[in-house]
Amino acid sequence: MIKLENVTKQYAGQADAALKNADADIAKGEFVFLVGPSGSGKSTFLRLLNKQEEPDAGRIFVAGKDIAKLSNWKVPMLRRNIGAIFQDYKLLPTRTVAENVSFALEVIGRPRHVIKSQVPAICELVGLGDKVDKYPHQLSGGEQQRVSIARAFVNRPLILLADEPTGNLDPQTAIGIMRLLDRINKTGTTVAMATHDRGIVDTMRRRVIELADGAIVRDQARGVYE
Amino acid sequence: MALRVDYLAKETGHNLIRNPSLTIATVLTVAVSLALLGSALLIRSGVGGLNTRFEDDVEFIVWLDADATTEQIDTVERALANSVSVKNHRYITRQETFAEFQTFWAESPEILDAVQPEQLPTSFRVVPANPEIELVEALADEYKVLPGVVAVDFAGEFIRQLNGFTSTASTIMLVTAAGSLVASSLLMYNSIRTALFARRREVEVMRLVGASNSFIRIPFVVEGLTLGVIGAMFSILGVFGLNRVISNSVEKSSTALFDSFALQQADLVPIAMWLLIAGAFIGAVGSGFAVNRYLDA
Repeated sequence: MIKLENVTKQYAGQADAALKNADADIAKGEFVFLVGPSGSGKSTFLRLLNKQEEPDAGRIFVAGKDIAKLSNWKVPMLRRNIGAIFQDYKLLPTRTVAENVSFALEVIGRPRHVIKSQVPAICELVGLGDKVDKYPHQLSGGEQQRVSIARAFVNRPLILLADEPTGNLDPQTAIGIMRLLDRINKTGTTVAMATHDRGIVDTMRRRVIELADGAIVRDQARGVYE
Repeated sequence: MALRVDYLAKETGHNLIRNPSLTIATVLTVAVSLALLGSALLIRSGVGGLNTRFEDDVEFIVWLDADATTEQIDTVERALANSVSVKNHRYITRQETFAEFQTFWAESPEILDAVQPEQLPTSFRVVPANPEIELVEALADEYKVLPGVVAVDFAGEFIRQLNGFTSTASTIMLVTAAGSLVASSLLMYNSIRTALFARRREVEVMRLVGASNSFIRIPFVVEGLTLGVIGAMFSILGVFGLNRVISNSVEKSSTALFDSFALQQADLVPIAMWLLIAGAFIGAVGSGFAVNRYLDA
């Protein structure tokens, strides 16, 4: 599903490459943790996959396609197949839960009847069935992350990228979020999650890719944090 | 890609009221600069009308010396009759001149009382074959030098001066308009940039979930177009108002010479169309540059 071949990313004005000669192969339906200290290249790894960044060298394949060869107007199509969630949720503060989720469908031109049926269903799935009319500021951090997961998943993407989704949450709430991501993974969605959270990694025992200074130093099935 | 009209209208409306002071500033700048452009065009077409008017019924008057001999008068008449440049000519007797004089000064009997027909000069009214101002002037000059001729009256010089003045005025207006059009395009650019900044969260989310580039961009371009067209509408009101003011003063004026400056409403339509096009153009260019500069993937 995701394949990196010798990928290097160098940000302008920085001495060291953010990602150096990275090779990885992630199969459909896998759940992969990206671990490593801040600045080790986890976020860059994820941002390269949905073309928020372009690699300086190497090739990246998503669903068998070399994404460097995608023309500009096809990039949105790639992104429709890749959901993304973040530590800071990126919710729109002036929209309710339901509106935040339906926004993701509206802007890709889904018909209204589809939006009407899908939004309540996905809100139910993430456990916010009774909070669809609340605004983000009325929700807890965990609830806000659930909204962002609903938004990322409502379009049933093949891949879900999660960049430290539990970074702002207490351990108990984080476990709830991980259960949700696990359920989403069980529907066949490939999940790649960057995290610092040793507890979560050690408990879930999934594949771990460890990065240090931009290089992949470990790739271990059913791994632990270190 | 379905970009729904209701979505577009809602987004545009929302954006326009999000930052009212900037919206008003942009609309006003566009309106003022287009009003300048419109006024310049209005004056241009007034001058154009003046020329056609003059060329249609051009005529010059060869005034004869009151003491001119019959022989001298005959010479002038022969010269007029033989000239291919003269379409026709007519001798105006003292009585006819006096009759005109009476009509002209009808309200001032004291002047009429002071003048007798014998004191008035006779003249030839000459219609040239070709009404071009330059040619008419050259032709008129030919008769100035004939014996028995005191003067040749001709509206050419006056028209030339008026033309020079109004075309200088309208050129200055056009240059000013060009300058303020550049200013309003830049303000438009900044206005859309601000809108982009205000909506940066939405834009970020739209990108992430895979909204197409056109879906993200079109609302901002439509916002620019809307601002430009609203500005153009205000400028059109201004130009119609200016024309009303000119028409009023032309009606009060004693001469028909300036009639061409009072345009019929129908004649204003092309000017209005140009202003609308210019407004839309400013909006499209300003927002297009802003969107290209700040929304590149």
